Amino acid sequence: MRMGRIRLGKQGRRLLAGIAGLALGLFGLSLMQRSWRGSARLVSIQEMPEVGDSCYRPSEDSRPNSSPEHRLFTAFEPTTVHAQDNIGGVDLTRPPVRNIWDTAPTFSSVGVDAVRNEVYLQDSNRWSIRVFSRLDNAKPGDPPTEPRRVISGPASDVQFNSCVWVDPGSGEIYSVENDTGDSIVVFPNKATGDPEPLRKLKVTHRAQSMTIDDATGELFLSVQYPPQVVVYSKTASGNDKPVRLIEGPKTHFSDVHGIAIDTRNKLLYVTNWGNVSDYKVAGSGRFEPPSISVYPTTADGDTAPLRTIQGPKTQLDWPGAMSVDADTGDLYVANDVDQSIIVFHRTDQGDVAPARVIKGPKTHLSYPAGVFVDSKNKEVWASNLGNSSATVYPVMANGDVAPRRIIRGAEENKRSLRFGKTEALAYDSKREQILVPN
Amino acid sequence: MHGFIYDAPHDEIVVMSALAQAVLTFRGGANGEEPPVRVIQGPHTQIQGTPYGANAIVTVDPVNGEIYVPVVPNVILVFDRTANGDAAPKRILKGGPIDVSGQTGLSVDPVHNLLVVNARGAMYIFDRTASGDDQPKAVIRGPKSGMGNVHEFQVTSKGWLIAGGGDFAAGTGFVGAWSINDNGDVPPHWKIPVQQLTGYVPYSIVVDPVHQEMMMAAAGRSNKIRPSNGIMNTVLTFSWPEIF
Repeated sequence: MRMGRIRLGKQGRRLLAGIAGLALGLFGLSLMQRSWRGSARLVSIQEMPEVGDSCYRPSEDSRPNSSPEHRLFTAFEPTTVHAQDNIGGVDLTRPPVRNIWDTAPTFSSVGVDAVRNEVYLQDSNRWSIRVFSRLDNAKPGDPPTEPRRVISGPASDVQFNSCVWVDPGSGEIYSVENDTGDSIVVFPNKATGDPEPLRKLKVTHRAQSMTIDDATGELFLSVQYPPQVVVYSKTASGNDKPVRLIEGPKTHFSDVHGIAIDTRNKLLYVTNWGNVSDYKVAGSGRFEPPSISVYPTTADGDTAPLRTIQGPKTQLDWPGAMSVDADTGDLYVANDVDQSIIVFHRTDQGDVAPARVIKGPKTHLSYPAGVFVDSKNKEVWASNLGNSSATVYPVMANGDVAPRRIIRGAEENKRSLRFGKTEALAYDSKREQILVPN
Repeated sequence: MHGFIYDAPHDEIVVMSALAQAVLTFRGGANGEEPPVRVIQGPHTQIQGTPYGANAIVTVDPVNGEIYVPVVPNVILVFDRTANGDAAPKRILKGGPIDVSGQTGLSVDPVHNLLVVNARGAMYIFDRTASGDDQPKAVIRGPKSGMGNVHEFQVTSKGWLIAGGGDFAAGTGFVGAWSINDNGDVPPHWKIPVQQLTGYVPYSIVVDPVHQEMMMAAAGRSNKIRPSNGIMNTVLTFSWPEIF
């Protein structure tokens, strides 16, 4: 048969071009649809490991989409994968190839006993309380400071320890447990090693910080969420009930952290991180700026604050622990992420700048989570999460000032991992980085 | 923080803000005090937690562009990945006997189109698009399975479900590999006895297919379950070519 040449006119060429374009478009759309609908698609390509002659066999599974054979790209087809029938439960007793951890203590809180001249540091990485001389000072080139005593171990029940307090009268050591333990444990002043606590008080979940009003013998405990301040007798133990409970919408509590008492002026200070929600109401969450709210120490129930310090001028940035100078009433705040200690006057309120800010490279401050004012010796202490140290300054220090003394839990220039509780994990495959939240 | 995930195709980090009932999405390269690019929060979201656990868990299906959030009362909310503001979920799966809360573990397998839910020592395997009262296709649980309660776990592209299990109090904690075809009281096909080897028990697990490794976050679990070396927080990496 003789094939003739077909000549297309202008209209015919246009029609042919349109058909070709439509075909291309449909093909491309089909690809796109396949990538956005629910069928299996290429998500990664890896070289197959050498596994010898092993082949996957279909199981007795009667589910649809079973495939009788597997090839390199079988995983990307809409078929299920079958385990090799002859594997069974095989133990792979191979040690880890790498580990990431910090062997040094991480100092989350500081307390000072001016009577006995000792400093107490809460170590949340190794679950310990470390006691040092108030006058210890690690000079450049010195090894880590040797503690006088260390309390740690299963009998002590020191775990997820977020705050330490020393009773100036009795010297008893109080430690708050912030996670699974839900308790406050109390030790005699000279406790060391792994002793059982003198007392153990069962408290609500997510207890964060505490302070004791020496005048009334009351222990004030901050709770992150649901946010509240719980007041106990300082000698409470077991399942003893609180004497007061401050909670409710009028309090404006939000993810409560630090707590401090001005005994002379009968004022209670609380730091709020601003994460708000009512667990009883779906979708009630919101974010507020961080703040410090002030209440009478006798507050009970749903009590509105007397005043609030909040706003951009305050420089509040994850404000952690607080401490009051008993002589002046000044409020010292461990301003964690800002890596500073900021100081407010007793009557400050609203969007007010701090009266003093200790901040800068000379200060050696690194993510300070704890602060304590030693009014007797006119010094202010910071416990630094970021470099395994505690640093002390004159109580009126301001600006980029070097500490008077440093207690070091590790070598000089230490950069801590700041692991608080490594419970979650993610892997950034693009950057080949491991993401570890604190 | 108990729950977050890296979305590789979109180079984003998705985080559950536990106390504020919010899902935050950040750039993958975010650093310092960088705000999220998207925030899912508000009354239409239906996000709700408990006083104890709040809202701890979130996971992402980067292929189908969906975010999964377990909430009370006993449901799993599914949002579009690009949802922002007071967005309603596009799909809701009721938990039935699972008793889902803000701490229920979730993982999505976009290769095999599965949603895997871990609660109370069991793995429930659903069709990825399950909604309403849809039932799981399979449930792995029982003493032989050793299945534990895990916040984060993963399914590899080969269909191996990698999760923690064992009796931590007895010192037999492990990371195991079950098949997505398993059902009932099935032991893991492989397991790394991590507690015996290292003294640590698993909290969260991620896998790296390129290097054929499994990474495990571990922390002291309680006063009774604590590593003997005294270091409470660690990330361990194991070579595990068998599952890739």
